[in-house]
Amino acid sequence: MTFLLHAWRNIWRNGKRTAITVVAVTLTTAVLIVTLSLMRGFGDDMVHNATRLVVGDAQVHEADYRLDRSIYKSIANPDGILQAAQKAGIDAAPRSFSFGLVSSGHKSAGAMFWGVSPAAEKTAFELAKEMFEGSYLSDQAAGQVVLGRKLAKSLHAQVGAEIVAVVQAADGSLGNELFQVIGILKLAGEEIDRGAAIIHRQDFDSLFVSGGRVHEIALNAWDRMSPEQVVAKVSPAVSEASVAQTWRELMPQLASMVDMMDAALAIFGFIFFLAAGLGVMNTMLMATYERIREFGILKAIGASPWRILRDISTEAFVMSVISTSLGAIIGVAASLYLEAHPIDLSVFGSGDMSFSGVVFNPLWRATVDQQTVVVPVVVMWIVCVLASLYPATKAARLDPIRAINHV
Amino acid sequence: MKTIVKMENVSKDYGQGDVVVHALRGVNLEIAKGDFAALAGPSGSGKTTLLNMISGLDKPSAGKVWVDEAEVTAMGRTAKSRLRLNRIGFVFQAYNLIPVLTAYENAEYVLMLQGVAAKERKQKVMDLLKQVGLAGMEKRFPRELSGGQQQRVAIARAIAAEPALVLADEPTANVDSATAAALLDLMVQLNEERQATFLFSTHDQNVMDRSRRLILFKDGRIDQNGTPAELQANK
Ligand SMILES: Nc1ncnc2c1ncn2[C@@H]1O[C@H](COP(=O)(O)OP(=O)(O)O)[C@@H](O)[C@H]1O
Ligand SMILES: [Mg+2]
Repeated sequence: MTFLLHAWRNIWRNGKRTAITVVAVTLTTAVLIVTLSLMRGFGDDMVHNATRLVVGDAQVHEADYRLDRSIYKSIANPDGILQAAQKAGIDAAPRSFSFGLVSSGHKSAGAMFWGVSPAAEKTAFELAKEMFEGSYLSDQAAGQVVLGRKLAKSLHAQVGAEIVAVVQAADGSLGNELFQVIGILKLAGEEIDRGAAIIHRQDFDSLFVSGGRVHEIALNAWDRMSPEQVVAKVSPAVSEASVAQTWRELMPQLASMVDMMDAALAIFGFIFFLAAGLGVMNTMLMATYERIREFGILKAIGASPWRILRDISTEAFVMSVISTSLGAIIGVAASLYLEAHPIDLSVFGSGDMSFSGVVFNPLWRATVDQQTVVVPVVVMWIVCVLASLYPATKAARLDPIRAINHV
Repeated sequence: MKTIVKMENVSKDYGQGDVVVHALRGVNLEIAKGDFAALAGPSGSGKTTLLNMISGLDKPSAGKVWVDEAEVTAMGRTAKSRLRLNRIGFVFQAYNLIPVLTAYENAEYVLMLQGVAAKERKQKVMDLLKQVGLAGMEKRFPRELSGGQQQRVAIARAIAAEPALVLADEPTANVDSATAAALLDLMVQLNEERQATFLFSTHDQNVMDRSRRLILFKDGRIDQNGTPAELQANK
C-alpha cells in the first residue's frame, strides 16, 4: 500500500502536467465508452430488427431447402424439434412455403405463400405487430390472408378485399381458393413487401395438399441465450437431412456488416488508445527525466531495477485508474442519456430506412453494458502501464554513478 | 581487529587513448571494523572513485576489493546490489533524500527494501530519528528541513539497517562549518554507540581532525595513512 501512496505523491509533483494528462485520458475513455455504446446500440438494433420480425436467432431447414425451395424438401420431424425448443424455453414457429399466383379483380401477381401457425408467430416473432392496416391472422384457420405492403399495392387489394389463389399443389393438382385480406404489413424488407401472402397452416395444407409439411422452424430466444446456444439446444432433435443455422449463417451479409462495424470500431479504438498511450508515455518520460538523480540514489542504496520499474509503472497505473474512473463516470452518464434519449436520425431523411433488406430504426439508441464500459477501461489501464514501460525501463537501467552526477 | 574493507592494487583509468585519466593508481588499503576513517585530498584526487570501487558502483581497471570478506570485484550485478542494500549505508554530498518521502519514510526506505516488518521498522526508525536529533520532524518533507537536518536524515537512512560499513562522500561539503561540526558529532556518536564503521571523504581540515584515521590522497595514490596525530608528527 505504501508504494501506492508514494506513486500518488509522485504523480502530483508536477500537478499541471499530470492534470493535463488525466484530462486527456479521461476524455479519451469517455469518448470510447460513448462510441462503443452507440455502436453497440446500433449493431444490436440492426440485428434485432433483422431477426425479431421473422428470422429469429436460428432456423431449421431441410439441408438444401435454401438452395432449392421445393415444397417436397420439408423437415423430417418438426414435432420433435418444436418439443426440444419448448423444453429449452425457446420460442419456435413452424412455417410452410410455396409459390403461387394471387389475383384481385383484374390484377394478379406471383406470391410466396407462408403457411404459419398464428399463435406461435405472435409469441415467437413481432411481424404480427407490424400491421400497416387491418390485423394479423386469427389463431384459427378462417380463410384469411395477410399481404406484404407492395404486393397489396400491386394487387390494389385493401383490407376486406377478396383475393383468389391459384397454385400447383403437392400432388400435382391445381389448387384454387378464395381468401379474405385481413391485414397489410408495414414495410418489412423487400422479400416480404413484394411477395408474402401469409395464411394459416391449415389453409395452406388444404390449398397445397401438403400433408402438414414444414419447411422452416424459426427459433427465437429473445436474448436469453446466444444464437449458438439455441442451435446447440435443438440440434439433438434435428435429423441428419436437416440443418440448424444461426442468423449469422442465414444472413451472412448482415453478419459481415456487424463484423465490419466491430473491425472499424477496433481501428477507431486503436487510434484513440495509441494517442492516449503516447500522451502518457510523454508525461512519464518527462517525469522520470526530472528524477534521474533520485533513481541513481535509490539504485545506489540497493533498490533493484525491478523495484524502480514497478514504482514508475505504478504511477502510470494510478494515473490511469484516476482517469478511467472519471472517464467511465462521464462516458456512462453520456451513454445512459443516449440510451434514454436516442438520437433521432429521421431528421436526416424521411420515411422508413432500409438497407439490404434490413429496416433501420430511425432512433439511434446507445446500449450500455459491461463490455462497452469494462473493455475501454481495462484496455486503457493496460495501455497506460505499457506506455510507462519505456521510461520505466530507461530509469531502471540507469547507471547509478552517472545518474547521481546528473543535475 | 577485523578488517571490513580491503583493497589490493586497485587502479582505475577513465577514458581511452591519449586522454586516459588515472583516477586511482595501485591503491592498497585496509579499514578495520569500527573505524572512523577520513579520506582526504584535493578535489579530483580520486576520493569518490575510491568509494565507488568499495560499493561496487564502479569497477576497478585492475586490482581487487573486499567488503566484509566478500570479494566485490568478483560479484555480479545483483550480488553488488544486494551488498549495497544489506551491508553498506550511503550518505552523499547533497540532495540525498527522495523529495516525496517524509523524513520518516526516507529513513525507513532501506528497511522497506529489505522487507523488514512495518512494526519493527517503525520502532527502529523512530529511535534513530530521535538519536539524530529529529524527534518531532518525522512527518516533514525534505523541503521543509534545513540542509543540516536533511543530512541527518540521510545519515539515519544510512545506518538504519545496521550496515557493516557507512560510506559518506563529502557529507559536510554543502553545509556551514557549525552544521558540519554538529554532523560530525553525530557520526562520532553513532560510530561509538552503534559500532558503525564510517569511511568518509572530505577536504575540510576540521573534519579530518575529528577522524580516528586519516588517509591522505594525492593524484590517485595514498600519500599518507595514520592517525591524525601521527600524520601531524610526520609533517
Ligand atoms: N566517469 C568519469 N569519466 C572520466 N573521468 C572521471 C570520471 N569520474 C571521475 N573522473 C576523473 O577521475 C579523477 C578523480 O575523480 P574523483 O574520484 O571524482 O575525485 P574527488 O572525488 O577526489 O574529487 C578526476 O580527474 C576526475 O575528473
Ligand atoms: Mg568527489
